[in-house]
Amino acid sequence: MLPTITVDDKKCPDPLNCRKCLQICPTHVLGMGTRVGPRKFKEIDNDQFLVAGVRFEKCSGCMDCVKACPHNAIQVTL
Amino acid sequence: MCQWCDKYAEGYSRWYFNPANYARKLYKIRKDEGPEIQPDPIVPGGMSLVTRDFIEALDRKDHEAIAKKRHDIEQLAWRVHFGQVVTLEDTLKVIDFIYPIALMTCACRRSMLGLPDKENFTCMGMGPGMYKWERWPETYRGGIQFLTPDEAKDAVTKMNERGLVQTLFTFGTPYLGGICNCDYPDCSAIRTTIDHGVQFLWKGHHVAKVDNDLCSGCASCIHRCQFKALSFSATQEKAYIDQFQCFGCGLCATECPQEAISLVERSSLPALANVW
Repeated sequence: MLPTITVDDKKCPDPLNCRKCLQICPTHVLGMGTRVGPRKFKEIDNDQFLVAGVRFEKCSGCMDCVKACPHNAIQVTL
Repeated sequence: MCQWCDKYAEGYSRWYFNPANYARKLYKIRKDEGPEIQPDPIVPGGMSLVTRDFIEALDRKDHEAIAKKRHDIEQLAWRVHFGQVVTLEDTLKVIDFIYPIALMTCACRRSMLGLPDKENFTCMGMGPGMYKWERWPETYRGGIQFLTPDEAKDAVTKMNERGLVQTLFTFGTPYLGGICNCDYPDCSAIRTTIDHGVQFLWKGHHVAKVDNDLCSGCASCIHRCQFKALSFSATQEKAYIDQFQCFGCGLCATECPQEAISLVERSSLPALANVW
């Protein structure tokens, strides 16, 4: 069974410096990317980074990421 | 026969020993993009081609959809960006003729773990692309550090001792531009290859073999395998290697105090010669 994982970017201002969800996930399901992709000639601000579900097939539904998020930005449903 | 050697070795014993595959003239030349699939710019995790729809197809065992997507993704990856496992010995030989070499941050570990730049200098870029690193601020976010050949050899040797696998990556095949130092589960290429069956990472030119007469059963090799090929036989009390799953990196062999694990040439084993 694949989960639906949503991360509310508005509640997640600086995943690059927080990364609690990335580090707590037992199977490294989540990933951090940027909303602009790898853009040339321009530094990417920290607020352009985002977290999303990537490797859904390894999600056990433990909800550790939901509990670890200090901003209640993550929802996981199975 | 390794198809990359077949196409690009041009008389050298391996395609990655051919200096032409690191030459400036290849830098930024992109081959025909092939299948009409586009990377998703906001899918994080260095897995922008392996998207939700592919994982859904795997989940519902839709073999036809899986085969088509896998084919499209692999064709694009092999044209543009894929890797092959190399032994430490071969990596050191490559470093002997490539210049410049620079240490930089690992994009996979940043996306998988959010690893801070200062803890994340495990990736190496090489060749003329390094002179243009400022153009890719996301990739080279932590900056880069140019290394002398001796420093580069020292760096990969230490990373190998830590248990990281050396891999060479193309940036517009056959242009080789990166020496990555990878481990499961935080290397996107290993993850995609092992977990999703999409071959971003090719096996190397060797296969590991255990000599049961020499193996003492100490199990000190077991943690070294990043490819789920090595286990411990409780019955025999020996290390057990699935040679069809082995990527030939040699990490288990270098850890063995009895020298019970040897690397044999993949081409010397008829049934493994075409298992990549």
